[in-house]
Amino acid sequence: MIRANHLYKQFLVRGQPLVAVDDVSFQVASGEVYGLLGPNGAGKTTTLRMVMGLLEPDRGEVRIGNSEVQLDPISHRKMLGLISTNDGVYPWLSVREMLLYFADLYAVELAVAKERMVQLTQQLGIYSILDQRCSTLSTGQKQRVILARGLMHDPPVMLLDEPTRGLDVVGSQTIFRFIELIRSQGKAVLLSTHRLDEAERVCDRFGLLHRGKMQHEGTLSDLQQATGHSHLTDMFIELIQETNG
Amino acid sequence: MDVSSYLSGGRLQRLCLKELRESLRDRRTVMTLILMPILVYPLLSMALQRLLIGATGSSPTTPYVVGVLEPEQGQAIEELIYQATVLVDNEVPWSVPVPQTNESQSESTKERELKEIERIRLVQVDKGTLRDSLEAGLIDIAVVNLDTNDPINRDAARWSLNAEIEFRQGDAHSQDAASLLRRLCQLLNDQQFRRLSQSLGNGLEPVVQLRSKGVGEKPDAFASVASVIPLVLILMTITGAVYPAIDLTAGERERGTMEAMIATPAPRFALLLSKYVAVVTVAILTALANLLATWITLSFGGLGRALFGEGGFSIWTLLQILPILAIFAGFFSSILLALCSFAKSFKEAQAYLIPVMLLALAPGLVTLMPNVEFTSLLAVVPLLNVLLLSRDIMAGGPPIVPTLIAILTTIGYGGAALIVAANLFGAANSSLASQATWGDLFRRPLKRKSSPELGDFALYLAFLFPVLFIVSSMGGYFSGQTALLMGLNAIALVVLFILLPIGWLWFQKVAFRESFGLVVESKPMTNSRDLSVRWVQIGVAVFLLASTLWMFALEGVLFFKSWSLASFVPELEKLKASWMAIPIVWILATQALVPAIAEEFFFRGFAMQAMKSRFRILWAIVASSFLFALFHIISGNVLSLEKFVPTLLLGLALGYVAWSSGSILPGMMIHMIHNSIVLLFSRMDKEQLTPWFGSSEHLPALWLIFGGIAAIAALAILANVARAKALR
Repeated sequence: MIRANHLYKQFLVRGQPLVAVDDVSFQVASGEVYGLLGPNGAGKTTTLRMVMGLLEPDRGEVRIGNSEVQLDPISHRKMLGLISTNDGVYPWLSVREMLLYFADLYAVELAVAKERMVQLTQQLGIYSILDQRCSTLSTGQKQRVILARGLMHDPPVMLLDEPTRGLDVVGSQTIFRFIELIRSQGKAVLLSTHRLDEAERVCDRFGLLHRGKMQHEGTLSDLQQATGHSHLTDMFIELIQETNG
Repeated sequence: MDVSSYLSGGRLQRLCLKELRESLRDRRTVMTLILMPILVYPLLSMALQRLLIGATGSSPTTPYVVGVLEPEQGQAIEELIYQATVLVDNEVPWSVPVPQTNESQSESTKERELKEIERIRLVQVDKGTLRDSLEAGLIDIAVVNLDTNDPINRDAARWSLNAEIEFRQGDAHSQDAASLLRRLCQLLNDQQFRRLSQSLGNGLEPVVQLRSKGVGEKPDAFASVASVIPLVLILMTITGAVYPAIDLTAGERERGTMEAMIATPAPRFALLLSKYVAVVTVAILTALANLLATWITLSFGGLGRALFGEGGFSIWTLLQILPILAIFAGFFSSILLALCSFAKSFKEAQAYLIPVMLLALAPGLVTLMPNVEFTSLLAVVPLLNVLLLSRDIMAGGPPIVPTLIAILTTIGYGGAALIVAANLFGAANSSLASQATWGDLFRRPLKRKSSPELGDFALYLAFLFPVLFIVSSMGGYFSGQTALLMGLNAIALVVLFILLPIGWLWFQKVAFRESFGLVVESKPMTNSRDLSVRWVQIGVAVFLLASTLWMFALEGVLFFKSWSLASFVPELEKLKASWMAIPIVWILATQALVPAIAEEFFFRGFAMQAMKSRFRILWAIVASSFLFALFHIISGNVLSLEKFVPTLLLGLALGYVAWSSGSILPGMMIHMIHNSIVLLFSRMDKEQLTPWFGSSEHLPALWLIFGGIAAIAALAILANVARAKALR
């Protein structure tokens, strides 16, 4: 579903070029959860933004389905759902108003959006708070509202950017259940995280990013074979030591 | 994703409604909207009233309160007043009368002084509180000492009074009261002198007699106080817009809703437009609330009559100022959004806005100065133009040309700021967030761009707009030197429309030579025959359009002649007189060749290509033609409205030529020939023109029919060229 080929991106930081992503390639199939892993500053968010079409790669291409994102980044966004660490809500709007607002942003027909809103909020157990102002929601409720928001346009691809950062065990559990749910719906899921233990639990395949480069890629057993370590954490520590040394 | 799906089916309306809900449900917005006017205006009215009294003395009905310590002192003062009143009533002359002023000429000294005397009120005050009462303004005069031989005056010839009074320094009302008492005393002394002189029978005259008279205009303190009102209204409108502007931009980032919003397929311009509508709505509501509060305060507090005369601050004035405030709200909201779009937090947005607010105060202070006229030059200065316009509306009637310039420039600045805002909005989300700054707008991009972007053009336009006005207003210094003026005009065109844009396009790494069609396409054509056929077709179209467009331009100007403003006629006649003396080569070079190259480069090259990067080609042609027409109607202090429609149509035709041919060169040729024909005709006398056109000022109908057919044929040929280009 997602195919990233040889992505390369550099920025100017105080006049100096900085390579953020360097020749990164991966694929995510429908119904698959792909973990894009790496420490802070590895290039995960930049890669996600190129997949979303928010950033244009200097070289390489991203394809969603059969078409290239860069040729029409705006249209491709309709196929993508995004859930990010820092996602917030509009305090003065009700849950209903906010969900319908996002449906409008994704150009979903109003009648379809209303139907979908009822279905999603029932699935996520927040139907009863539809008319509550977002400022009055608990952290858990807010989190579920954000998850519903990402699915209002029923995208075939979901991008999750560090979705569990700052959440407690219960919060993280909700996210895992959500990932299971969207995987079962056949969506392609690209999960960027630095929490390797979590990634091991939910991802089907992994890409290990460090300093903008894809260091290893494959299933857990592929990585175990390539690195000689059984856990992602150990693989990473060795990787970082190697590059630093 | 089609942009139109966001602008139709009520979607844009719903997006705007969301932003409005967010703003209006926030208590802080409502506070500025309702509470501020309720509190500010009554307080301001009181302060103004106090200020007016301090500056101008007092209103003619305010009493002069004289404080005395004992009842006998009061009796003695009453006696003084009584005797003086009798003398004034009998029109006994003063040896040193009160100076006559412009206002006092209408009423006699007797009437005026009697009115003044009637204002005196006596009150008794305890000894310990006399000075305090005076300083606190409870009394205007304190009688600190008074001796009299007979308080009730049983013998007029022997009556005497020796008093000492105090008044508040720097308080005009208290000073007026003291001056009145001094005059009354002087009148009694004069009378005593006369009586003595008569009893001696020698007809002595007073030693010194002095009559004085004030000339010239008295500075109108009321007018300068009245000009505070527009400033307050503008500042309050700004205040109303500030909070929603920050909340809907930097607030989105702070709440973490920006990224989710930017990741949707909704075009940024639609997102920003919905926010803009919300901010402008709140600003206009604030302006309306403030205007109503001003009207109520001025009408019911009596200050309105003091400031604006008998009619007070009328509803009509209010209705005239509201649209001006609305236009200003539109302009300032886009400035606020442009500034806040880059801020990552409330704090940062506030840091950007505070200098702007302070900057807004500076022109406000200019309007407080007396004798600042609302000229066409000042009409291009943002904010100052709106302040001067509102001031003149309140004073009765603003001048028409500066008013139109002020309105057009304010809308223009607002539009430019909105385009900049659309480029900035959400931008930091798509690059390294922590690194993005305002400086990025002026940083050279890493990659070459195949054509200019709308933001590149908007930034240049924001620079060009005021510069153009200043340059064209400077033409006034060279009036009478038409040939020199033409040369300077041509130089200004080359610099502002070609050289500086080229510099800016080079800096922005835009491959403008390719996108403007200034070089032959690098892609090889399928065969050279196609290429030559294409250029022959374009050549024929150029010939047809160049030889016919002038007819419609001429008829258009005649048709819209009634739009011409009076100020235009003398300018034109002055120009025509010196016109014939200038060599034709010079005229054609400066008025046909240079404008054709410069304007085509700028309007069909830079402007149209930049707009094409964001909008459909039809809108790009329309918008660039609109700018083209706008540029032609404004020059210095002259507003040639009658040229608007003809130049707009010419712009549309040239835009179509540039698009269909893929180059600005054919348009340059048409533009140059068109201008040359019009210029050559303008040098001919009526007698020379009669064999061609007859005696009517209109062209023969047959000419227009053939011209129309030729122009349509040219457009059809160009459509064919465009189709062939699209097929390739």
